[in-house]
Amino acid sequence: MSTLTDSRKRELRRELESIVGPGAVLSDPDELMVYESDGLTLFRALADFVVFPTSAQHVSAVVKLANRENLPFVARGAGTGLSGGCLPTEGGIVVSMMRMNRVLEVDYDNQIAVVEPGLVNLHLSWKVGPRGYYYAPDPSSQQACTIGGNIANNSGGPHTLKYGVTTNHVLGLEVVMPDGEIVWLGGKTREACGYDLAGVFVGSEGTFGIATRIVVRILRKPQAVKTVLAVFDAIDQASAAVSAIIARGLVPAAMEMIDQLTIQAVEDAFSCGYPRDADAALLIELDGLAVGMDVQAERIVEACRESGAREVRTARSEAERQLLWKGRKSAFGAYGRVSPAYMVMDGVIPRTKLPYVLRRVNEIVAASGLRVGNVFHAGDGNLHPNILYDPRKPGEEARVVAAGAEIMKVCADVGGSISGEHGIGLEKADFMPLIFSVADLALMQRLKSAFNPRGLCNPGKVFPTKKSCVEVGPVAYRPHAIEEKGLAQRF
Amino acid sequence: MPDALLQKLRTTVGAANVLTGVELSPYVVEGRTPEAAVFPGSIEEVAAVMVLASEVGSPVAPWGGGTAASVGMPAGRAGLVVVLSRLGRLLDHEPGDLTATVEAGMTVEAFQAALGRRGQWLSLDPPDADRATVGGVLATNACGPRRHLYGTARDLLIGVTVVTADGSVVKGGGKVVKNVAGYDLPKLFIGSYGTLGVIVEATVKLRPLPEQEELVRVRFDRLKDAGAAVRAVAASDLIPNAVELLDGAAAVGAGLAAGSPPGGVLVVGFDGVREQVDWQRAELARLTGPLGGRDVRPLEAAAWSRLTPAARTAFPTPAATMALAVLPSQVAETMEQGAGIARGRGLSSAWAAHAGVGVVRGALASDPAPKDPAALAAVLAEWRELARAGGGHANLEWAPLAVKSQIAVWDDPGAAGRIMERIKAQLDPRNILNPGRFVAGI
Repeated sequence: MSTLTDSRKRELRRELESIVGPGAVLSDPDELMVYESDGLTLFRALADFVVFPTSAQHVSAVVKLANRENLPFVARGAGTGLSGGCLPTEGGIVVSMMRMNRVLEVDYDNQIAVVEPGLVNLHLSWKVGPRGYYYAPDPSSQQACTIGGNIANNSGGPHTLKYGVTTNHVLGLEVVMPDGEIVWLGGKTREACGYDLAGVFVGSEGTFGIATRIVVRILRKPQAVKTVLAVFDAIDQASAAVSAIIARGLVPAAMEMIDQLTIQAVEDAFSCGYPRDADAALLIELDGLAVGMDVQAERIVEACRESGAREVRTARSEAERQLLWKGRKSAFGAYGRVSPAYMVMDGVIPRTKLPYVLRRVNEIVAASGLRVGNVFHAGDGNLHPNILYDPRKPGEEARVVAAGAEIMKVCADVGGSISGEHGIGLEKADFMPLIFSVADLALMQRLKSAFNPRGLCNPGKVFPTKKSCVEVGPVAYRPHAIEEKGLAQRF
Repeated sequence: MPDALLQKLRTTVGAANVLTGVELSPYVVEGRTPEAAVFPGSIEEVAAVMVLASEVGSPVAPWGGGTAASVGMPAGRAGLVVVLSRLGRLLDHEPGDLTATVEAGMTVEAFQAALGRRGQWLSLDPPDADRATVGGVLATNACGPRRHLYGTARDLLIGVTVVTADGSVVKGGGKVVKNVAGYDLPKLFIGSYGTLGVIVEATVKLRPLPEQEELVRVRFDRLKDAGAAVRAVAASDLIPNAVELLDGAAAVGAGLAAGSPPGGVLVVGFDGVREQVDWQRAELARLTGPLGGRDVRPLEAAAWSRLTPAARTAFPTPAATMALAVLPSQVAETMEQGAGIARGRGLSSAWAAHAGVGVVRGALASDPAPKDPAALAAVLAEWRELARAGGGHANLEWAPLAVKSQIAVWDDPGAAGRIMERIKAQLDPRNILNPGRFVAGI
């Protein structure tokens, strides 16, 4: 929290209320606590105010006030982020986008929708589903996370293997710039006019401004879907199968790996039909035209068998398919049955390095005296090791953090990245030098200066810094409020 | 150019790799000759050249295959052309990762040939692939018909190495297909026309080569009906990799329709396994028949490369060409209205579009008589208004300097232009990279 005096705070609260309305400002510390964390509860920071605008004009006025007062501000969606990216590390104003949650326009002819940033990801697919369309980016938190938050982190999901991540589906955005000006970046057409500022904005983790309207592509639902489960006695075989499928010229819609620890947790919790004694399973989905689907599925089956799969089966009904996906999507919830807490990592490696890196991950975690479950997007090499631990045991959390750092280093060393979809935020800011040089970071800083010259818009994120007054472990793990309500899981 | 600078350049890259005087004729743009052309042989040499240019404030024009050299405004003052042709190697191709890293000066054709030997390709099909380089294609955001399914450079470029104006070597992105670490610098450099840095290396996502691919043509008596067919295809279960719409003049010019010019020609591409291509061709005929489509037939593979330039190639020497970005649903109407605007001023035009994504190209004939630049500019200005009326924008792809001095090459980016200026000022504070060539005077 910043150093505003109580009386100044009361004045500012009144002024904020005059902008967004009396029911749309929080400043009581008890209320602010709900907004002190995102999905990564390791980090906490308290804002001075949380405001709930309902228009771009509101956002603009709030941002202008923040500029006048030299107060930092940060936009926040559902708070499902996993890198501390929306925390008010230096106090100031949290701009909650949750009341800007409308679908403003759907143009089926042109397959685009205009939405507000607080719209929950899945709600867009619900809206356009009856007409045979959907919104492709499907982060596993899509029941709760917002499209604005997806923009900030350039979120992915299981089906991004074939369909790409958020940036591939965003055509334009109306943005309140860090100085309060309202500007359109991109638009409804497929070509940028000048530099691709919409492309630059997506994934900028809330440091370039606050999106208030978003033009996204919606896609026709595929004519047919086929889901295959391949079961392996050795995780290396499952990794080899991923490469074998790619080598056969196949691009599945999704290719997810689930390891033994995770399978057992899932089966204990939900009985989804994964064999408990398997070392690993691959969940592979094909979609597209009905014709030719069987030919391609046959090739997938063949590639898996040749890689040593002991069992390969195709979901025979939509119910069976849903059950298999339930196993994948509820994996994180299932960890709760086998461990009091876990921390999810997010790293990316070249697909061909999977066997080596998975071995290293297991070694690193074992050497820390901890257990790890792996459930991840194998098709695009996006790892999610989940380190299980008990926060009540002194020192365990610190060991988790240390193991996580080592895993990031392994990802970097094999030519990978330190984040595939969770973002850098606070969590990984100090890991950036693992993959970027001083010159790389300097150029990014210059780009940031072009958008956010005063640095008031979401300070303390993305770049290595020692200067934040955020509370960082060792603090006890606790579920986020939205997790307790069952609205979100960690991925 | 000061002799001292020339001498330093020769020392840096070798005397044989610095051209001056009459040797510069391939690098003359709009009648303007650069002071020297430099051929660095490594990223370090590119950086050293940029340091030298930066010290004296000499303009620098990065140069790939030169296929888009006349796009935009020419530099106000002569400077260096930095030619990337010696940086032409495929550095890394790991088929299991579906990625490749390539030096910027490799031609697209050579790159595709190398990838193809291992059953993969970069799903980008810009024109002039035999000369266009990977770096140039990225810098100009060039693409072709297959963008309908596979997107453009922004969907394929996962990592980029750039030498900035001050000679820093900077990387953005990485070598993995999914990556959100740091700002998305690849997006920044795509389509920046060499105004922010010299692209020297790129890492791209690849796809397996399709087993079968086919281009299918459908003739229509009326362009409007062909436009309705585009919408029908979009709303169907078909998964085409290209949806192109051409008016009669462009179709005849591109050799896609013999005899009397049809009102419109729809060209749709399909790929996949044999059954998928066959089913889709039949489905296309079934969908378009009731809309007036007839004479559905496959085209030869060579037709692919004639689609993107089809409007321009309708005339032996067009007077000007413009690219209009509109909504896909507006494509046929834009083509008809644009032709009407030209006719109203006594000019012929030809039109072709990546219809499924709303990118329309119109070309103005210079025949019968060369028109005065003001008349041409007036038509082009109306075309631009046509695009803007539907929420789009339009850029001049090619026009003589006399026309470009009467109508802005680049459409107005609006308030976003100020952010673009600030980015330019941050990355190239001395304004030496292609000064004045791009949008908003950048």
